[in-house]
Amino acid sequence: MKKSRDEKDGQPESHNPSRRKFLKGVGIAGAGAAVVDKLWIEADAKEQAGAPKVVSGNVRITLDVNGQKRAVDVEPRTTLLNTLRNRLEPGVTGPKLVCEAGTCGACTVLLDGKPAYSCLVLAVDAVNKKITTVEGLGTPEKLSPVQRAFVEKDALMCGFCTPGFVTTISAYLKKNPNPSLAEIREACKGNFCRCGTYPRVFEAALAAAKSGTV
Amino acid sequence: MQQQQPASAPKPKKKIRVPRVINGIEQMVEIEVDEDSGPGWGPNDKHTLLNHPMQRVDGPLKVTGAAHYTYDMRVPNMLYARIKRCPHAHAKIASIDTSAAEKIPGVAAVVPAPLTELRFAGAPVAAVAASSPEVAADALRAIVVKYEVLPHVVHARAAIAPDAPKVVEQKDEANLQQKAKQGDLQKVEAAFATADAIVEEEYISQRVHHTCLETHGVVVDYSGGDTATVYASTQGTFTIPGDAAQALGLPESNVTSVVQHMGGGFGSKFGIGVEGMLACKLSKQTKTPVKLMLTRYDEFVMAGNRSGSWQKLKGGVKNDGTLVALQARQYRLGGIGQGSQAGQPYIYKAGEFYREVYSLHTNEDSSIAMRAPGHPQASFAMESLMDELAYKIKMDPVAFRIKNLTDPVYHRQLERGAKVIGWERRNSIPGGNPGPRKRGMGCAVGTWGGGGNNQCKVDVTIARDGSVKVAVGTQDLGTGTRTFTRAIVAEEFGLRLADVKEEIGNSRLGGANSSGGSTTAASLSPSVKDGAIKARLAFSEKVASLLDNAKPEEITFANGNVTAKGKTLTWKQACAALPASGVVGHGEWRSDLQSRGIHGASFVEVEVDVETGHITPVKMLHIQDGGLPLNRLTLESQINGGMLQSLGMALWEGRVMDADLGMQVNPGFGDYKIPGALEIPEMIPLIDDDDKREAVIGIAEGCIIPSLGAIVNAVFNACGLRVRELPITPDKILMGLMKNPSGTA
Repeated sequence: MKKSRDEKDGQPESHNPSRRKFLKGVGIAGAGAAVVDKLWIEADAKEQAGAPKVVSGNVRITLDVNGQKRAVDVEPRTTLLNTLRNRLEPGVTGPKLVCEAGTCGACTVLLDGKPAYSCLVLAVDAVNKKITTVEGLGTPEKLSPVQRAFVEKDALMCGFCTPGFVTTISAYLKKNPNPSLAEIREACKGNFCRCGTYPRVFEAALAAAKSGTV
Repeated sequence: MQQQQPASAPKPKKKIRVPRVINGIEQMVEIEVDEDSGPGWGPNDKHTLLNHPMQRVDGPLKVTGAAHYTYDMRVPNMLYARIKRCPHAHAKIASIDTSAAEKIPGVAAVVPAPLTELRFAGAPVAAVAASSPEVAADALRAIVVKYEVLPHVVHARAAIAPDAPKVVEQKDEANLQQKAKQGDLQKVEAAFATADAIVEEEYISQRVHHTCLETHGVVVDYSGGDTATVYASTQGTFTIPGDAAQALGLPESNVTSVVQHMGGGFGSKFGIGVEGMLACKLSKQTKTPVKLMLTRYDEFVMAGNRSGSWQKLKGGVKNDGTLVALQARQYRLGGIGQGSQAGQPYIYKAGEFYREVYSLHTNEDSSIAMRAPGHPQASFAMESLMDELAYKIKMDPVAFRIKNLTDPVYHRQLERGAKVIGWERRNSIPGGNPGPRKRGMGCAVGTWGGGGNNQCKVDVTIARDGSVKVAVGTQDLGTGTRTFTRAIVAEEFGLRLADVKEEIGNSRLGGANSSGGSTTAASLSPSVKDGAIKARLAFSEKVASLLDNAKPEEITFANGNVTAKGKTLTWKQACAALPASGVVGHGEWRSDLQSRGIHGASFVEVEVDVETGHITPVKMLHIQDGGLPLNRLTLESQINGGMLQSLGMALWEGRVMDADLGMQVNPGFGDYKIPGALEIPEMIPLIDDDDKREAVIGIAEGCIIPSLGAIVNAVFNACGLRVRELPITPDKILMGLMKNPSGTA
């Protein structure tokens, strides 16, 4: 088996970096993210019903982004973040790529209303989920209460962390409309800011909660 | 009829010295300016928009994801590039085999990096461009590099040994090089003989990273042909076209750079950088647009850092608190670079001083400019020493500082800070609080220049339809440049912020300086004001006929109205009198609208748990002067930011190097800890309105400097332990208290 794969790829093993082959090698026991369960794939629609399967190469999926159905070609390994930013046409670039390691929160999106680091979610795993990015919460002309509070309290400077904070806090206030300062801190402990806007992020979150319109 | 000045009469000139920032380092140059150049800002408390809290005008774009940063740019057919890095701290490239990488479907090009001898782990070896970032990462793994590994040294104490591996290239250059010597050693020694108390200690500050959330990088929009546009995450819009043109083989004037929004710089983003050069190379070779943004790992290992410091200080005081002597041996730890460190005794006045300053090289990525280059390091050591001296002679640290600072601005700031934080609540005996959780307070002071220079050319245009535009090529790093640019013009014409639109971040617009050394506000705002005044005069002439031929100085602009001689026109009515081309004011820099020299004082309260070694910052306060505050809201945000970056450096951050591997072991946010939501203390940013200078001065660097010393001193006041090496992690508290339960060594 191994040999035939090598021949097929036409590259010596040590030089072959293909993630695709890695996934084949580990099969369904490995990185479960690439294992498609209940995943709708146009190319393989007729095989849809049945056991989990391994996908490789480009696959076409449909994502529900900010209420719109968006068809897009992804590799099984493509993250939701990179799909939103690089593969959708036009791209959705509100979620920022900062660490690509689930440490900073700048890529936070809402999956069925719950905050998630989109750099840690594979695009194929986001199928059939409602994906909400910061763009889906409001527009410059029609800001959401959290977005308005961020502007009013100056809860941003360079603004690169801001989409992550806005989505995180928006989701949290839905869950807890009347939070304490300590609860707000806890809610956004997974988001980093380098300019030092935290005190005003907290103020904005509390002000948005107080406005009672979240 | 107005009497016109003959055009040939030269205006009287005067020479002044102004800062010019080159690669983030402030240098003073002499320039000639007009002696009398027009109306000023007026009193700081008489503004209608400036010196008020104003919401930043790009806020709505940034909170909705509508602001497009360089990292967000995508142009048709664009390739994604990545950089292959050297894993060794010192090595020569023996061979590179890129054939396997080139065969991967989607890989468009592989180019070598310029150097063949690499002096730090993480140095670029090659770059690839591919159809997606995923494929580019595949290609990196497929590149096979054979190295001749050479000896390395990454720790300062090892690098200073005579037999240490040589770091820098030049044959006869040792790792340790003397850079400066000042003062009289004999006089200092004599002065020490008169001192009642002496403290002699070593202070070490670590290398910290800028960690801009938007990594360094560019999108080179070039598809062959004669022109290119380069989107860059940079602090200097105008530092890009020259470098890019060279790499692309185009005339400089055919390259445009664009910087609409940028995700943090803090001193690290000047020029196109090695990543930008590689992107241009790839784009030139493929005749295809290329995007190259550093990964977070790249950002840690090769995008620069704050110079570390190792300082041996000796201070002598009289019992009345007079600092009579200061001797310093200062090592700048800049990796393969020169490092930076302000000279001691920093801002204090010592009866006599003597200092020697050295660069001490290690096999690490070069330090580069970082918010107040060299100052936090010097301030931390000097403020620690001052605190030690104060406690030694049993003098109040605030009173001791006032005694040794000649500038009265510091006196009022220290007195105000002490009052606001409740300085009397501090421990009278360091570590004297009962129980394991001990609170304490510390203070420190700092300075910066913040003056501007004459590089900004601003066009203020009023159109006949009433629209107002202010255009200049400058960049907004998140400091609020867009907002004050708009506000200055709006205020001049009595309009609202929303009535003016700014156009910035493009090298096709009027020239502007790089944002380094806190020079942006003081360079840009005088040019904006000058442009606004000139546009106002031109406007006044055009509308005079509608206002009983009022003279320009008789016409007032307020609340959206234009008024003179009892007649009032709405803005729209007045603008209708303009010619089809509208009116334009070309703004030039005026030295009299800016100044330099700022002061800041920080007070910090911390809680030290002596059982766990954990330190909780409780309250941070910083008072900052800076002439005319352009925007109180964004100014306070910047003061907060300075305090918090200082906090990270004091307690958590630091590049950790493995001596054997020669690599950074914490190149990610998981292990390199910047302040997060749970660590933020109560923050009190204070603007020093007792500064009555009617002039704009930059404050960004000033407000990062003294908090560091204040935190270190607060830790001492809390638990009685003097920690002289940053960051003050729990192990240092526990080990220190174990060695000496009563505190300081």
